[in-house]
Amino acid sequence: MPVVRIPTPLRPHAGGVDKLDLAGSTVKELFDRLGEAHPALRERLFDGEELRRFVNVYVNDEDIRYLEDLETPVAPGDEVSIIPAVAGG
Amino acid sequence: MPVDSLERYSRQMRFPALGKAGQEALCKSTVAVCGCGALGTVLANHLARAGVGKLRIIDRDFIETHNLQRQILFDEDDVASNLPKAEAAARKLRAINSTITIEPVVTDIDHTNILALVSDADLILDGTDNFETRYLINDAAVKLGKPWIYGGVIGSEGQTMTILPGETPCLRCLIETAPPPGMTPTCETAGVLGPAVSVIASFEAIEAIKILSGARAALNPCLIMVDVWDWTFRQLKIANLLGKVDCPCCKGRKFEWLEGGQGSHTTTLCGRNAVQVAVRRDEPLDFPELASRLASFAEVRHNAFMLRFAAEGHEFTVFPDGRAIIKGTNDVTRARTLYSQFIGS
Repeated sequence: MPVVRIPTPLRPHAGGVDKLDLAGSTVKELFDRLGEAHPALRERLFDGEELRRFVNVYVNDEDIRYLEDLETPVAPGDEVSIIPAVAGG
Repeated sequence: MPVDSLERYSRQMRFPALGKAGQEALCKSTVAVCGCGALGTVLANHLARAGVGKLRIIDRDFIETHNLQRQILFDEDDVASNLPKAEAAARKLRAINSTITIEPVVTDIDHTNILALVSDADLILDGTDNFETRYLINDAAVKLGKPWIYGGVIGSEGQTMTILPGETPCLRCLIETAPPPGMTPTCETAGVLGPAVSVIASFEAIEAIKILSGARAALNPCLIMVDVWDWTFRQLKIANLLGKVDCPCCKGRKFEWLEGGQGSHTTTLCGRNAVQVAVRRDEPLDFPELASRLASFAEVRHNAFMLRFAAEGHEFTVFPDGRAIIKGTNDVTRARTLYSQFIGS
């Protein structure tokens, strides 16, 4: 299964885990599964059906915005990363 | 600078990719360090030691004891002396390297002053702790065509990217809008580890040295993400965002923060239970006059850089430019009221 990596600030909304193994063949399907298991996490990432504009998603090392956005296909072993904006400093 | 004085940089000049020519270029450079907290102190420390000819250190804040865990240029004496961060940093940096020019500027970077603060700089460095200022830096850098380096840290993780306007994606290509307050954790809410900040600021500093010494080919074109607790280091490919994303800033040349349409001058300092109230003044505040006015009901302390008093359960820190940081509230309206009540409008 593809794995979705959860950044530290969002882990409290994902039951404390740093990654989730989720079934699906596109990024959208993975996030649908993620939303069923952790609705509060989905709320942080999505505004309705759209990704929030300060949240970026990468499949392996590539930004999905220049792949096929949420329809970007994923295969077993692929790593999907949620990259939040980091404010501090 | 006489040639002999380059001796102090001999160990880095022996590094072949820098060399004497690279060092001489560093010595002729001007850098604006925006924000002198955790990232900014590490950045300024590296660049002053490396011999960057002129450093402008811009910061709006004063030093508190809880800063000392990670803000490497400050010590307990600075807290006791009520020094603004920019001034305290300048004193340390001059002791570290007296052959360079350090210019401290105690101000809040906003759309009215940023162009003047960065227009003579060869490079702008992000030592800030908030997205409002970062988007403002991004607007200014893109408009002026100047390179800048973004860095952000929270907890044990951080990210950095180098922006060469027109050549690489800008901050808005990467993150189109700033997260609304409360949607992302801050160092005050989620904590931050000193070494995590040092790692990210050191990456920013090395990319700065490459840019200033003319070694742009060695720059890292990725968004770098590091977690020092989990030992993860990732380089995300972002170069394609430049062409793909319809960026309002670097493609549309629409500078929303610079034009003052975004961001506000009076802001909650997130997670600190404090509000910064900024009132633009033509003349600097007269501290002795203000102190005598407040003396009947509050104990007032002031030096050349700031004036502090407590009233109605709030601590007020006032700067000569009219700004005040009011602790004990997150309510902007309440803070404005307190400001007019005690400081005046």
